[in-house]
Amino acid sequence: MLLYTMKRLLQSIVTVLLVVTIVFLLLRLLPTDYYFTEEQLIKLTDQQRHDQLAAAGLLDSPFVQLFRFYEDLANLDLGTSRRIQHGVPVTQVIGGKFLVSMRLGLISLAISLFLGVVMGVLQARYKDKFGDHVGTAYTVFVNAVPTLITYSLVLVIGARLFKLPSMYSVRNVARSSILPVVCLSLTSTAGYMLWTRRYMVDELNKDYIKLARLKGLSSRKVMYRHVLRNAFVPLAQYLPYSMLLTIGGSLLVERFFSVPGMGTLLTDAISRYDTSIVQAVVILYASLGVLGVFLGDVLMTLIDPRIRLTSKGNTR
Amino acid sequence: MDMTTNNKPGLHPGGGGSAADDLFTFAEYRHAQAEFTASTEYSYWRSVWRNFLRNKPAVIMSFVFIILFIFTFVAGVIGNYRYDELRPDNKLIFLFPNDEFWFGTDNLGRDYWSQVWYAAQTSIKLAAIVGVGEILLGVVIGLVWGYVRSLDRFFTELYNVVNNVPTIIYMTLIALMVGQSFLIMAVSLICFGWLPTARNIRNMVFIYRDREYNLASRCLGTGLWRILWRNILPYLISVVVLRLALSIPSTIAYESTLSYLGLGLDVNTPSLGILLRNARSYFLDFPYLLIFPAVIVSVITITFYLVGNAFSDACDPRNHL
Repeated sequence: MLLYTMKRLLQSIVTVLLVVTIVFLLLRLLPTDYYFTEEQLIKLTDQQRHDQLAAAGLLDSPFVQLFRFYEDLANLDLGTSRRIQHGVPVTQVIGGKFLVSMRLGLISLAISLFLGVVMGVLQARYKDKFGDHVGTAYTVFVNAVPTLITYSLVLVIGARLFKLPSMYSVRNVARSSILPVVCLSLTSTAGYMLWTRRYMVDELNKDYIKLARLKGLSSRKVMYRHVLRNAFVPLAQYLPYSMLLTIGGSLLVERFFSVPGMGTLLTDAISRYDTSIVQAVVILYASLGVLGVFLGDVLMTLIDPRIRLTSKGNTR
Repeated sequence: MDMTTNNKPGLHPGGGGSAADDLFTFAEYRHAQAEFTASTEYSYWRSVWRNFLRNKPAVIMSFVFIILFIFTFVAGVIGNYRYDELRPDNKLIFLFPNDEFWFGTDNLGRDYWSQVWYAAQTSIKLAAIVGVGEILLGVVIGLVWGYVRSLDRFFTELYNVVNNVPTIIYMTLIALMVGQSFLIMAVSLICFGWLPTARNIRNMVFIYRDREYNLASRCLGTGLWRILWRNILPYLISVVVLRLALSIPSTIAYESTLSYLGLGLDVNTPSLGILLRNARSYFLDFPYLLIFPAVIVSVITITFYLVGNAFSDACDPRNHL
């Protein structure tokens, strides 16, 4: 197990490095004009711009820059922001943002996990009854209707009927977080419902459930003690992943409600060409993704002792 | 089947005179009978079609979808204004739906009816192109990825690298480096969209690749493409259809998200996302700016989603007969 973990970690580091290298080189393909604001482009002469770029080491060949970047990375230095907050270390810029995203994300994850699993269980228990059909209609709606439209509807209903703020504001965090959280949970609840129901229904047809029924266990006990426990295993695999990714924030929700979180930071950083922030965020996203998948596998072995990672590693 | 039909009588040593000759006679070799296996009445696609037609709600919804799709072309013609002749007009801003402007006007005083239908048409066109492209590329590469072991490592690594970066980064870089247009959007969505399909297909191929019939086929020297095409792909048809059916609504959704973020289509090619981005500041006060595009596009995506699901069920041979 230890050996496997080491091997897997090493592989993950290689993946993350590969990802960030690709993004690094892609960013260097853009013309250097992007490093300046429009105002600067008008004001500064070509010579001044040239000097500034040379001073920042941005005129060296991309590979020289890449190696310098690796060196900094080895010293755990992610550089400073150029455009978003000039001269501020990247870690500080990110530090201010990720808590905002994470709080919204974790609240909505908790809500949607609870609601999704409970509704999924109920749907499986009352399969083909009216409630089940309503639940299925809901999941179809969420999956088929473009998210942007769902969010817009939530916004209109929330703002017009319940008089909730339509923009996130730092002064009134609790009230202005309601609509973003509703949007986030609305979509992910549907996912948990769909999969819980699916796995439960699969599990319900198995022999050990029939045995449990024959023993005279109550339907509720069969559902929660036997079926749910087994049906939850495949769901658990994605749990750490989605938990970690809450740090990354949701791009659309954050932009839609003007939440100053990680999602907006990423697009801002790219469109304003703040390379060191983009690189740092990419490293963050990639490592969270890789780590999330790994933790998911570990969690699965903890819940279900029949699953072993070491033999599985070869077949995947 | 009778064993003797496979053997030509001439191959057997003819030992006359024993009692067995009276009881058993060699059957004559008949080609048609030798090839005869089971009921030939069964035709896969006819069966798919029959199963699909049996699903009444799905049939009705496919009619709704087709009519709406055709109407996106008709609507632009029957409206009072042509899309490409729209001019901003200060006197006409935020008119509620009326006789002349059937869907009202937007913040610049332009007719909303023609914009909504044009946008719906653009979104569907893009989604159809991207969906088909994604599936074609994904299926072909997924088949090879799953079947040829030496390529597995490469594609898995490629998948990890691409999948671990938010696509938004690539899309932004493309928007900055190449530009924004319908074609660029379609190509780049296909470029990043085929991977999940290919991964799905690869996992399915793993299930079938080492079944006995494939081993036998390989031993007999069947070529790679023939095995993939004739032996494995037929098993995957319902999965492929399902992915296509899900890909079109999700592409419409993704396009609208990207365009809303300013990374998708350019402002002059109105799509759902652009429309809603323009309306975002106003639809709290003028809900009709949201309701018309929302209802039309939702009906299109929901019907397509359900019809696709039903068709995919009909494609699954386990549901036949």
